[in-house]
Amino acid sequence: MLMSPFLDMQLGDRIVTLMAALVLVLQIAMVAQRWIVIHIRIFAAQSFFLAMIAATIAWFNHAPHIYIAAGLTVAVKVILVPILFERLVERMEIREEIEPIINVPISLVIAGGLTLVGYVVAESFYRPEEPGLGHNALAVAISLFLIGFFNMINRRKALTQVLALLTLENGLFLAAISLTYGMPLIVELGVFFDVLVAAMVLGILIYRIRETFESMDVSRLRRLRG
Amino acid sequence: MEAANVAGFGVILLVAIALAVKVLAAGTVSFANGFFYADSLSALVILLTAAVALVCSTYSIGYLRDDQQSGDMGDDPAGAEQIAQLRMFYSLTPLLVFSMLFIAVANNLGVMWAAMEATTLASIFLVTFYGKVTSLEAAWKYAIIGGVGLSMALFGTVVAYYAGHSLPGSDSLSGLNWSVLAQHAAQLDKTSMRLAFVLILLGYGTKAGLAPMHTWKPDAYSEAPVPTAAILSTALLNCALYCLIRFYILTSRCLGPEYPRHLLLLFGLLSMGISVPFVLAQRNLRRLLAYSTIDHAGIMTIALGLAGPLGSLGLMLHMTFHTIAKSTLFLSAGNVYQHFRTDLFAKMKGGVMRAMPLTGVVLFMAMLAVIGMPPFSLFQSEFLILRAAFDGGHILTGVLFILFGTGIFTGVLVHLSGMILGPVDDTPVAARRPWRDGSLLTLAAALVLIGFWVPAPLFELIRGAARVVSGQ
Amino acid sequence: MARLIENVAQLLLLLALAPLVTGVIRTLKARLQTRRGPGIFQPYRDLAKLFRKGMVIPETASWIFTAAPWVVFFSTLLAGLMIPMVAADAPLGLFGGVLAVIYLLGLGRFFLALSGLDTGGSFGGLGSSREMTISALAEPAMMLAIFTVAIGAGSTGLTEIAGSAIGQNWRFLAPAQMFAFAALALVLIAETGRIPVDNPDTHLELTMIHEAMILEYSGPYLALVEWAASIKQLVLMTLLINCFWPIGLQPTWFGFGALQGIGWLLAKLLLLSCAIVLLETVNAKLRLFRVPEMLAVAFTLGSLALVSTFLF
Repeated sequence: MLMSPFLDMQLGDRIVTLMAALVLVLQIAMVAQRWIVIHIRIFAAQSFFLAMIAATIAWFNHAPHIYIAAGLTVAVKVILVPILFERLVERMEIREEIEPIINVPISLVIAGGLTLVGYVVAESFYRPEEPGLGHNALAVAISLFLIGFFNMINRRKALTQVLALLTLENGLFLAAISLTYGMPLIVELGVFFDVLVAAMVLGILIYRIRETFESMDVSRLRRLRG
Repeated sequence: MEAANVAGFGVILLVAIALAVKVLAAGTVSFANGFFYADSLSALVILLTAAVALVCSTYSIGYLRDDQQSGDMGDDPAGAEQIAQLRMFYSLTPLLVFSMLFIAVANNLGVMWAAMEATTLASIFLVTFYGKVTSLEAAWKYAIIGGVGLSMALFGTVVAYYAGHSLPGSDSLSGLNWSVLAQHAAQLDKTSMRLAFVLILLGYGTKAGLAPMHTWKPDAYSEAPVPTAAILSTALLNCALYCLIRFYILTSRCLGPEYPRHLLLLFGLLSMGISVPFVLAQRNLRRLLAYSTIDHAGIMTIALGLAGPLGSLGLMLHMTFHTIAKSTLFLSAGNVYQHFRTDLFAKMKGGVMRAMPLTGVVLFMAMLAVIGMPPFSLFQSEFLILRAAFDGGHILTGVLFILFGTGIFTGVLVHLSGMILGPVDDTPVAARRPWRDGSLLTLAAALVLIGFWVPAPLFELIRGAARVVSGQ
Repeated sequence: MARLIENVAQLLLLLALAPLVTGVIRTLKARLQTRRGPGIFQPYRDLAKLFRKGMVIPETASWIFTAAPWVVFFSTLLAGLMIPMVAADAPLGLFGGVLAVIYLLGLGRFFLALSGLDTGGSFGGLGSSREMTISALAEPAMMLAIFTVAIGAGSTGLTEIAGSAIGQNWRFLAPAQMFAFAALALVLIAETGRIPVDNPDTHLELTMIHEAMILEYSGPYLALVEWAASIKQLVLMTLLINCFWPIGLQPTWFGFGALQGIGWLLAKLLLLSCAIVLLETVNAKLRLFRVPEMLAVAFTLGSLALVSTFLF
């Protein structure tokens, strides 16, 4: 793709914008999705595109430490976490569909609205005099954050709530990349490690919920009140 | 396991004291090229955390032994399952405490966040310790709400990093260092800092249990083992407030104190206000304590919002006193639970004083302390905060504070006295519990003592921390 | 004069190419399912056979029943004349440009739906109501996507739209274009009655939509309706291709370029047919109440596309 020393910022901006758009589409697809396994794969695909965005930004801005962040994303979010969750799904033999709390067409409209909100918020960060990629990416990042949050509230099954939380974190990663070209490496390491451990912990928790409640439907967790 | 735990925490306490001494002498301490940074605020938080951890670890020896005997942890004492459970407890608790200590010494705001997330992860399995249906529910709520909150906090951290990107050296590791950012706070980007503070308040406020993000607290505190709940409600609360304070300092230096003040007062009063009805209508002991913690988190947030010399001092004093009082309360509540095997007031029928005189007295004392009754120390700190409110012209805040405080006072007093003081009859007195009662007595002694006399070095530390907050 | 020749040429192209596209899709689908398939020229043979056969018209039918096939056929042809197929310069430029195309296709659909109701049979009514439901949801999505492209081009005239796309090779990388393309692709599936919205090969009550509406037709009328359906499919496919990837679109019909243009058109149609076949083979037909969800996705994509022309 970028083998030639073609350092045209325009092209880089276009590529980043394109991939950011794909990421956004995947996030919206997650709102409409019903099958749990597809959710996991959408998350993996989304993380992959995020890693590509990070790599593109690293290339065009000569910032090698972002390559490490991109590599970590691939390792943790594209490979490890989806494998973890797919194994969990196999063990729990989930074949049920997920019924969101708000029906799909209205959820989609809400997701569209949240995308708009993300754009409006990102506008205030846009400094035309600062050259660089990522104005679009920041808008997409904030939209990912908001739509992920909405997804968490909208979903009933525990596993999809956790996946929505992880897409929220994806949005944060994208925001960090586009605002500040990533955070200092040690922070990135810490964040990724946390994501991995969180995925494992939540996976175990989900498994135990499933065993105890015979279902992952979190609306059944209502015994503690007051 | 037990001995190693206690010994380890003893060592930590000594290190904490050493750190405090060093900070008192030198003002600030930093290692590893600014990666670790400790000033009076950090030292105070570390000291409190270490102290609580030590006491709770001695308490948990007796507590867990009782649990093994009574069958709460499964049917077969000394069976493999129980050993595994114990191992989990004794390894997760140090992990939890270590993460909390890390929060207080990390200079880098991102590392601080990672450590806070580590505390959440470490404590999730502690909440599910008993493996009951309700424990799972509590742990799930805790995990999800905590996860969302911390994501917001991470976003706030990213935005704060962006706010400092025009500073020299921001590309390197030190760009997120609090000490660096605090020095150049006036040059931070203002719009970004506004957004960052809101996100941080929502994020770390979730961990602190501010309303409306507080819903995980009653569940988590009532389902977790009592020593864990004690640590969560004191040390972890302090750490969450510590993170909030760090960002508050940055924001107030960048934007001036009015903007963060409005937000902090709002959330603080909301927390106090929300706990009132839940305290008045409460039926469960540990949930009552959880709402009381939410109330105190609100009080400390109000103190932070008021800032200035009085407010900051009130905040730091309150943090110290609350730690001691709340842990005493939780540990004595643990005693009560293990004797009566229930948390419900109705089932205890006022029998605490009869059955467990020592615990009853300590519980009563700690209760009075927590609701702010003189001559206990919390009265002084709350009075200081009220003075700060009225001095600064925040009459509405002061009035609401008194109103809500009265509500909590009434509720807690009625419920707990009803539970503790009952007519004398011949209920059998509970057996002696050396470990638990010993820990309880230590804390109770500290509580009483501190009402009258704060040792000078501790007071210097508190003053120093207050100075860090108010910016002098 | 030149215009007339262009119109006639495009007319002939539409008439001739439409059944071929249907045949190619069917054969490709069969091959993918390891069958031999009927051969790509089978639709021609079917049409010829139908034109030779006698007609049976229900007694309860009114003039709508007899008029509908003609209306559908000619409105679709008229719409097809407005699409740039070989040259960027579309032969016919009616007022409203692409809106006129959409409304002409809508006119055809309206009459077809009426004819389904006209005979009083239950299958017809079933098909008509389902078809109108789907089109009620698909049209807004299509409109939004079209408007996106039109805003990019500065006019709703298809000539201008196609013309503005020529020469800007990286434009299709812009998110607005991508979203619009995705929305239009989903709408294409809905409007041409392909899996996962409708199964064009079935006559089962639960699964018919388009087939249910035309169930009562026979003989030449059936030939007209089927031909019109394949022309509509060709029109929508060409619209999709030439608005977004106008590679090989010639400036005008005349000269050597015309053959080149036809060649490029055939190549792009083949590519799109392969994509449609893949989609049909890999997916199962959606249950009817799930179709609004798919169309809601198309709607969201369309609105995102429109909004991103202003934001990106």
